[in-house]
Parts: sequence; structure tokens; C-alpha cells
Amino acid sequence: MATTKRRRLSPGIWFLAPFCLFFLLFFVLPIGYALYQSLFRTERTGLYGELGTHQVFAGFGNYAKVFAEGAFVQSVLRVLGYAVVQVPVMIVLATVLALLLDAASARGVRFFRSAFFLPYGVPGVIASILWGFLYTPGISPLVSIGGHLGLTPDFLGPNTVLWSIANIVTWQFAGYNMLVIIAQLKAVPGDLMEASRIDGANAWQAIWHIKLPLIRPAIVLATVFTIIGSLQLFTEPLVLQPLTANVTSTYTPNIAAYADAFSNNNYNYAAAEAVLLALIAAILSFGFLRLVGGRRRG
Amino acid sequence: MTRRSVLAGGAATALAGTGLLAGCGTGVAPPPGRSDRRPGERVTLNFWSWVPGIAASVDLWNKRNPDVQVHLDTIIPGGSGGYAKLHAAVHTGGAPDLAQIEYHILPAFMLDGGLLDLTGYGIGKYEHLFVPWQWRQGVFDERVRTVPQASGPMAMFYRADLFAKWGIEVPKTWPQYRDAAAKVRKADPNAYIMAFPPANSAYQTGLAWQAGAHWFTARGQSWRIDMTDPGSTRMCDYWDELLHEKLILAEQDMQSGWFAQLQRGQIVSWVGPQWGDALLMGNAAGTAGKWRVALMPQWDSSHPAAANWGGSSTAVMANSQYPEEAMRFAVWLNTNLDSVNLLIKGGYGWPALDNAYHRTILDRPNKFFGGQRYNEIFAAADKQIDDSWMWLPTTASTLDHLNASIAGAVNSGGRLVDALRTAQRQTVDDLRAKGLKASGPGKER
Repeated sequence: MATTKRRRLSPGIWFLAPFCLFFLLFFVLPIGYALYQSLFRTERTGLYGELGTHQVFAGFGNYAKVFAEGAFVQSVLRVLGYAVVQVPVMIVLATVLALLLDAASARGVRFFRSAFFLPYGVPGVIASILWGFLYTPGISPLVSIGGHLGLTPDFLGPNTVLWSIANIVTWQFAGYNMLVIIAQLKAVPGDLMEASRIDGANAWQAIWHIKLPLIRPAIVLATVFTIIGSLQLFTEPLVLQPLTANVTSTYTPNIAAYADAFSNNNYNYAAAEAVLLALIAAILSFGFLRLVGGRRRG
Repeated sequence: MTRRSVLAGGAATALAGTGLLAGCGTGVAPPPGRSDRRPGERVTLNFWSWVPGIAASVDLWNKRNPDVQVHLDTIIPGGSGGYAKLHAAVHTGGAPDLAQIEYHILPAFMLDGGLLDLTGYGIGKYEHLFVPWQWRQGVFDERVRTVPQASGPMAMFYRADLFAKWGIEVPKTWPQYRDAAAKVRKADPNAYIMAFPPANSAYQTGLAWQAGAHWFTARGQSWRIDMTDPGSTRMCDYWDELLHEKLILAEQDMQSGWFAQLQRGQIVSWVGPQWGDALLMGNAAGTAGKWRVALMPQWDSSHPAAANWGGSSTAVMANSQYPEEAMRFAVWLNTNLDSVNLLIKGGYGWPALDNAYHRTILDRPNKFFGGQRYNEIFAAADKQIDDSWMWLPTTASTLDHLNASIAGAVNSGGRLVDALRTAQRQTVDDLRAKGLKASGPGKER
């Protein structure tokens, strides 16, 4: 008994081992290290700690400070506000594009599919630089066209720059999410569509009653990606930072943690911020999954 | 390379956190006055820097010193991530022998224990070669911790052609500068005398420095933060007024939109650092010949003062196995005239080498500035800098706080001095978060 069991198990373990190893090494271990670091703080004597430096256990002191200082909380609220607008826009746009390309009457499907997907191939930094030029007064054609029409668009203003960032992100990822949804649309059985046509369903009815329910998993997936992406907003605001005074060093949770770790060199505090952000992302993602999952069961 | 493996062992056991490692940083340094190099042995020093054109100087050293070769690693500029890399390297014992570190960041590396105390290696005999105030930027607790390289004395770049066309006299005081700003607005509705960067706090720090502020001082073992002294307050109120009356433009400097406006004559002056000359020449080439340089406008003409923006040093890191050779290279790099001339060509800033103006290629007329020997002005400015300015171990966060609070004040029409007060409170918190003692301008809290 025992020998057969072992024989059956061992190949599986070998297949799993590489994944488990890297998962432990590059996922579990760093998270554990961040958790550990977030529980300590440094005490120093002298102006530069030259008379003594000690690492002391702080309990949840760093977490308390994150909440007390408020800048991080504000950054979380900012990205949540951003997500409330950005997630629906992104998902609706991706779904509409996917359905358009899937429509029976669509022309030039291959061209448009590539064209919509193309921005995803542009690295985030490059995309942000590119849009940065389009946002900067004095060199942006958009701003000068606006000027000729009597408008004074301010893409980098205190109340607008967040939506300029949302625009970059939508431009970049709508095509990607569209592709995820298209893949699922391709899996909609042809006989189902044929049956609906025979039963007299028009295109709208087919979308509403057949396609949308069947691509629901893909939409859920894209939504979770977008929620997580919103919370982790980093590249776009960081690249726009030199162009505007309105992207601060605590603009998004990730930028705040980055600044605290690497510019302020306060790893313990940054670790607490990172752990909190991971918690929030987990709560929101699993919360959303539970929400849609629950409805399905109901 | 053996140094790496020796240190790797020490670093692994100390990987527990920043504090423990800070202690370790100084622990791995060999006893002062000793080097691991045997006579005649050929060694290689690692050097991290991002200064444009520094490779030429390094090459020259390597040609002249076959036994002590310097391997230059060009890293991204400190503020953009270079310091993050260096801090991490210090923590893990993998720091290079030498690194580029700006004056305002040196105290942060003091906190790490990353800087070698050069006093025991006889650095004292080179002191007379350097500009005294720049030298003092690297002295902490009477120990010399770095070799100064360059600074950024500030003066006023201005468009002489437009000033003449619009009948504007070159302002010598800040009130005159205000009048000049109004005249520019009247002469051309698209033009401003300058752009006030709401989130480039190194700029406002320089302005406060000129106004006689001492934001950061030490009282015994405790830091005292005072960013709302009378000088800073006067400076803030002045810019409040210019902003409210829309005599100047609130816009980030040194970015593409700003350069475009310089090109078009829509921004006609810049109270900027000496190293800004390369930025103007490189990004507003079309305006060549039309610029001149004058001393910064003054608060009190009877006590002329200039400001400083930026400054950098060549630091020997605490874990260097060849500290003597590293120090010798750092001193040569920043005092040898051939090397300094190469660095000036690269646009590295104002030399820390004393009396550099007359001894180097700085003393030359320049076509971009209409044939003016414009560095003469910076040489004069350099002599007017208040040399007692100190930086904090948390300067980087203070500058971040200022960026946020000043931008907030400019957006909402609030007072700049209140923005400074906010940053002052945050700075005290930052220092305490580092486990240091700090207080605001009032009584001890």
C-alpha cells in the first residue's frame, strides 16, 4: 500500500516542486519579511545615530502611525475614488469593443483587434511619457487646439490630473481586457447562436441573453484585474510627477510606500504601508468575487 | 572580489533590519590608516556615479594610475533611484568603494553608517585645496566624511534682448524684480518674468537660504527645525504677492513645457544655479546670444547674499577595502586641473576646488551669453553664500513634504509660509520616526 502510494505521489511532487520553490522564495518569503519588518522601529542616539542604533519591537506602532499621519489613508481614498470611475469605464469599454468585433456584421476584425490591443504592447513608462507630452501646455497639440476653440484644458491641474492618469490606463489596458473577453466570446457555442436566430432573437437579444451571461467569467476576471491595478497605480503618476506639482510623493499608496522605503529610507514604515495595501487589495478582490459568486448561486 | 564574499557573510547574519545594519556599516570598516593593498598590487575600485562626462576623468585617472584602476558604474541619478540602490547596497554590505552623494543626502548615509571617516586617513592635508563651505558640508561631528565635488551657486539668467526692448532695467533687489515682473506682463501678455515651481522645493530652499534662514540646526544631540523664521516668512510673503497678482507663472521648471516657453521668449528670466547654464544651452539653443547673467536680486543690498542649489561629493564608502586608494582618487578627481576641466565640460556644477574660476576653463567668454564671461558672476555669488547651512538625515522627505504643501498652497491660494509650517511639523515627525530627537522652533515637545 505504502509503496504504491509513494510511487503515485512522487512524480506529482516533482512537477509541483519548481512552482512551490519559486512561490516560497519570491512570494511567501518576501511577504513574511515585510510583515516582520513592519513590526519593528529604530531607536538612535546622537544627531546621526553615531552614538548607538537599536532595532526595537514596535508591535503595531508603525500601523498606528500610518493611520495617524493620514497621507497614506488619503492616498487609498484617492485610488478608491479613481477605481469607482475607472473600473466601470474600463469594463464597459472592453466589453463593448469585444462585442463589436464579435458581431456578425463586423468588418476588418483582425485589423481593429490588433489596433485596439496595440497600446498594451507599449510599456507603461513609454505610454505615460507619450501622454505626458500630450498633456503639457506649450508642446501639446491637444492644448493648443483647445486654445483655438476658446477652451483652456488643464490636463495636469489639481482636480484633473487623476483623470488624465485614468485616461492613460484605459488607453493601455482596454484592449487587453477586450482580448480576454473576446477569447471567451469565441467559446460561445455556434449552435447556441444558431438556435437563438432560429427562435427569432435579434442581435441585441442575443447579446443580452446569450453572450453576456456566457462571458460573465471573463468580465469578472477583467474586473478583478482592474480593481487590483487601480489600487496599485504607480507608473503613470510617477512618470507625470516632474510635469506637474499635483502628483505628490504620497499620491497613491504604492508611490507613498516607494517614497518611504527608497527616498526616506524608512523600511519599517514602508513595510507597514505595503502590508496594509495588500490587505485592502485582497479584501476588495475577494469581496468582489464573493459578491458576484453569491449572486450566481442565488 | 574577495571583499564581497567576506562581507556577504557578515551581511547575511545582519539582514534583520536597517538599525542593526547601520551599526554593522561602521563595524566592517578597517582600522583607520590601513589599506588591504600590498605594495605593487594592482587593485580595482568600484565607483557609482551619474555625473555627465565623469567617465572622461575616470579614464584619465586609469591611464595615469595603472595600479589603481577605477571601474565606473553609471547609475541613475540619486533622487531618481540611485540613492535607493546605494542605501540597499550599504545595508547588505555590497556598496562600492566610492559613490556620488549630494550634500543634502550625506546625513542620510551618516544614519546608515555608510560613509567612511576619512580623518584617520590623513584627509586633513587636502583641506586647503577646497572651497571652505563646501568642505564643511562633508564634516560631521568634526570628522571628515566625504570629498566635496561641486555646488550650485545661484544667480539670475535673463534675456538681455527682451529686457532692453521692453525698457526693463536688470533688477538688483527683489522689489525691483517685482516691478520688472509687472513690466514683462504689460509688454507681452504671453510672457512672464519667471515660472515659480510649486513642486521643486530645492528652489524654495535656496531662496530661504538666501533670505538668511537656518532651517535645520543642531542643539546638542537634538535637531531643531525652524522653517518659519523672519527671513523665510518675508521670502514667502513676497512670492505670495507675485503669485496672487499673477505676475509670475506657477509651473514646474526644467521640464519640456518650461523649455518650450524659454525657447519662445515667454519666460524671460531664471534665478537658477550655475549648472543651469548647460540646461539653457541644451534646451533653448535657439535663444543663443540673447542671455546674460547677473547676481541674484537682493533683500538687503548692503549685505549681499547668494543662495546655493545642489551640490555633490565623491564619498568613500565605509566597506571599502582600499580606503586610502579610494580617497586618493576622490581627491584627485576633484582637484586635479585636467580632471576638473573635463568635469566642467560635462556640466557638473561649480567646482569645490578653491579659486577654480581663474584656474580653469570657467574663465572664458561664452557665445550663448553674448560673449559674457558669465561664470565671473557665479564666482562672486559663490563668495556670498551663507556657509553655515546644514542638512538633515531626512532631507529627502522634507523636500517631498514641501513639494506637496507648497503645491497645495499655490493651488488653493493659501499662504506659502503656512506650507512651510506644515512641512516643519512633518519634518519633526520624520526625525522622530527615525529614532532621533527633534523639536520645532518653539519649546521642546
